[in-house]
Amino acid sequence: MVEQTSQTITQKTPLLAELKKGSSDFSSLVQQLTETVGKEGVLYDAQELLVYECDGYIVDKNAPDIVVFPTSTEQVSKIVKLCNQYNVPFLARGAGTSLSGGCLPIGGGVMIVLTRMKQILEINLRDRYAIVEPGMVNLHLTNALKGTGYHYAPDPSSQGACTIGGNIATNSGGPHTLKYGVTTNHVLGLEAVLPDGSIIELGGPTAEVPGYDLHGLYVGNEGTFGICTKAIVRLTRDPESHRTMLAVFQTIADATRAISEMIAAGIIPSALEMMDQGIIEAVEEAFHFGFPLDAGAVLLIEVDGLEIALDEEVRQILKICNACNVREIQRADTPEERLLIWKSRKQAFGAIGRLSPSYCTQDGVVPRTRLPEILEFIEETSKRYGLKIVNVFHAGDGNVHPILLFDERDQEQIQKVLEASEEILEKCLELGGSVTGEHGIGVEKINFMSRIFNQTDLDAMESVRNIFNPRQICSRDKVLPPIQSDEKSTVKQSHPTRHAPH
Amino acid sequence: MSSTQSDSLEEFIPASQTELSRFMTDNAATSQKQIFPVGGRTSLSVCCASSLSGIQVCTSQLNRVIDYPVRDMTITVEAGMRIDHLNEIVSAEGQRLPVDVPQSNRATLGGIIATNTSGPKRFSYGTIRDYVIGTSAVDGSGNLFKSGGRVVKNVAGYDLKKMLVGSLGSLAIISQVSLNLRPKPETLSMVWFTFDSYQKIDRALEALTTSGTRPTAIEYCNSKAAKQIAAESRFELPCENDVICISYEGSNNEVHWQTNKIIEEWKEFSPLSAQIVDSDHATRLYNAFVEYQTSSDDPVTLKAVVLPSQMLEFVEAATELNIAVQAHAADGIVFGHLPDSASSLEDVKHILNRLKKEPSLQTGYLTIYQCESEWAEALPLFCSSPPGWSIMREMKNAFDPHQLLNSRRFAELVET
Ligand SMILES: Cc1cc2nc3c(=O)[nH]c(=O)nc-3n(C[C@H](O)[C@H](O)[C@H](O)COP(=O)(O)OP(=O)(O)OC[C@H]3O[C@@H](n4cnc5c(N)ncnc54)[C@H](O)[C@@H]3O)c2cc1C
Ligand SMILES: Cc1cc2nc3c(=O)[nH]c(=O)nc-3n(C[C@H](O)[C@H](O)[C@H](O)COP(=O)(O)OP(=O)(O)OC[C@H]3O[C@@H](n4cnc5c(N)ncnc54)[C@H](O)[C@@H]3O)c2cc1C
Repeated sequence: MVEQTSQTITQKTPLLAELKKGSSDFSSLVQQLTETVGKEGVLYDAQELLVYECDGYIVDKNAPDIVVFPTSTEQVSKIVKLCNQYNVPFLARGAGTSLSGGCLPIGGGVMIVLTRMKQILEINLRDRYAIVEPGMVNLHLTNALKGTGYHYAPDPSSQGACTIGGNIATNSGGPHTLKYGVTTNHVLGLEAVLPDGSIIELGGPTAEVPGYDLHGLYVGNEGTFGICTKAIVRLTRDPESHRTMLAVFQTIADATRAISEMIAAGIIPSALEMMDQGIIEAVEEAFHFGFPLDAGAVLLIEVDGLEIALDEEVRQILKICNACNVREIQRADTPEERLLIWKSRKQAFGAIGRLSPSYCTQDGVVPRTRLPEILEFIEETSKRYGLKIVNVFHAGDGNVHPILLFDERDQEQIQKVLEASEEILEKCLELGGSVTGEHGIGVEKINFMSRIFNQTDLDAMESVRNIFNPRQICSRDKVLPPIQSDEKSTVKQSHPTRHAPH
Repeated sequence: MSSTQSDSLEEFIPASQTELSRFMTDNAATSQKQIFPVGGRTSLSVCCASSLSGIQVCTSQLNRVIDYPVRDMTITVEAGMRIDHLNEIVSAEGQRLPVDVPQSNRATLGGIIATNTSGPKRFSYGTIRDYVIGTSAVDGSGNLFKSGGRVVKNVAGYDLKKMLVGSLGSLAIISQVSLNLRPKPETLSMVWFTFDSYQKIDRALEALTTSGTRPTAIEYCNSKAAKQIAAESRFELPCENDVICISYEGSNNEVHWQTNKIIEEWKEFSPLSAQIVDSDHATRLYNAFVEYQTSSDDPVTLKAVVLPSQMLEFVEAATELNIAVQAHAADGIVFGHLPDSASSLEDVKHILNRLKKEPSLQTGYLTIYQCESEWAEALPLFCSSPPGWSIMREMKNAFDPHQLLNSRRFAELVET
């Protein structure tokens, strides 16, 4: 670990410039950015910038000063070098679906949006990899691979919008994580523009490269180690067959017991997703799937593999569900029915819009056997705060997503949401879990870092960040708790009333 | 704790992480002796110059189970735990760590993470990096830091545990590890095919990418290696020609179906022979494949990592040089044992220089991980700088600022 203490690092960190609109620096930076990416690739009009003042995490907001849309690695490198020259902070943005405020431009500066870099550069089935640009939408890669017998396994519920670059930065998971793993298990290598503008390759298309696992270290850096400009991802064989079921339970306790029994019996379904009564209601109202509205919980269970093995696996699952008082099990007999079942899961978030003007999705993790306790605690918290909380989550991984419903115009409700969230996450830690399974620390959970890790752990992380991003010019004040110093700027509140007290 | 002196290397055996951390802190602050972490000592000779002096820090007493919540399918153990001991504990619960480890009766968890050890089933299960969910480790200055946790999904903070995979004990001494486990499959079966031409093998391997079966491992070996592997497994198998051996795991039903199916599918590539190795013998044969990559009677063992589609090209060149070759075919990982006739350093360099020119290595890597100890100085582990080498050096400096941890090893890893 570096010998420097946090204090000395801060002292060495030069103050990043605040870009003042109308200043000569501002105009010449805009001009040089325009020369780099063309006029249509730069935004700096205050109205247009509003779109970029937050991502899926809407509690804190701050608009960048300039937004740029590069189309090549070289352009990204030039933009980053310009930011260094003008000493202004910058950060990457993919689709902006982050739920932890990863795209919040603290200190303003330049936002580099990668969505115009969305080509597939190579698909190699024999060697089982694809090379893609970072702005490629996750689902588009899946679609491009249709019919080849291969797919890209990580499939976050946001896959219709989120980008591969964003997935890599946040180490995204999804419904199929249980069997197939998260993003880091599927990234073989990448190209990145480091915060000083240099271009670097980590890992590669071969099964391994000698030395430290740097691409493994890069995945999940939440945009603080530079900008990913290319990704080499592993392709996975499509399973020969699936069985998809919806198991309806009278109570949440029965459903979670079934989950625990399945894992304990050594069954690893390809997906094991849970929806509680609140979500069932919302989904039913939006899509009319025919879910029983009085059910306590529904489990979406999918197993995949060789046709010859699946019926036996389904038999075992049915046995376990029956022993856990399942009320009924609906099986998808056709591809259309399977799609419909999945639609209910993937569009659950969309359906919540009908329940409430705003919602906050939490992302805690507990050991799988502790699911009953955390769900009970969530219910109790919901009652205690008088807040409606609904649950749809990756149950097989113990990754809960309590969704707290509120009205963002009501300051008191916001406060309750923050406090209730905090209590739930504390409980996850108490049960031996984590405060984030897939959404990341971002700005949202930064205060939890010193509760999960001690100062030595944080110093180790900081020394790694310092190797990539010594001046914290790239996506500043994310992931690690900011060092106490006058030099750091805080979030400028575009809407001060919505500010989340940390 | 005990401390002994042998030759120029002292030994320190910490009894706890805290003791390890205190020892490293003191060492960094006072004597600044060179530190060599050791686990099972199965491969300490690997590319390590013979004239080392300093302290071996041995993890043999860091071998306890910290926590095994069986129904969560995770386990937390100290890093000096031997792999066979770990296997025994989890196997009793119908679970396993699906990573192949040669000499598992000696190799330790810390050692296999530090060397990124893997074997045939990496094709379907990935490598140790995919199962480590949390680590604690002590850096060169004595700082005990952790990363990850004990749950299977967790993205809190940077993934420092990944950094330790393959770090060869040059960044930190791994002291405790949490692992994600998998259910133990019901059965294992293998099909042993022999072929008389590279063209047929290539077509057969390509066809595997769309096979109706789902192999767990695809091993290839030339006749020379096949003979040794078959002999080791004490099972009569044809080995006059090159071999592809495919393994399947799962329920009896699915394994049976697949072994027959692959024989059917591969008829069109006219194998010379196709033989199902039933589960009784399959385990022995499988173990012979796992052990072969590190069997060390030969003067030099090398490992090449190439694209799977270029594996045969590399193998053809190696076979011409009389190297016994085993490959995890679908991963493009090739192990080669140089012939006894390569008896001098000059012979070895001659062979290596020819291999290094192989076009398949343009996107790949050649590493040497076993050689006569007196050659170690002349044969660095990596034959070229890996991508990100400059960052690796900075990481080394950050975590081991006094260059105390396996430093000679690290500095000499790359051929200059
Ligand atoms: C409805 C909904 C469902 C979701 N479901 C899931 C889920 O199932 N699993 C899951 O893991 N997440 C989920 N998310 C969260 C989110 O979609 C993921 O974190 C996703 O990976 C973000 O991708 P993005 O392209 O939108 O990235 P952004 O939101 O644009 O950025 C996220 C972070 O990545 C950084 N970043 C983006 N691109 C790059 C790049 N090229 N280089 C470096 N850094 C970069 C940004 O700076 C930021 O820190 C969900 C979100 C929503 C709104
Ligand atoms: C460079 C190298 C590459 C190898 N690659 C492969 C491979 O690809 N496939 C394969 O099957 N086998 C490989 N092996 C051989 C062998 O399988 C492993 O070395 C063995 O499993 C390690 O276990 P061990 O406990 O015997 O370690 P030891 O032989 O005691 O030590 C091996 C290395 O790991 C370090 N080390 C040991 N314990 C720790 C610890 N707790 N923390 C930090 N560092 C530690 C040591 O300093 C040393 O560098 C490789 C060996 C080496 C040295």
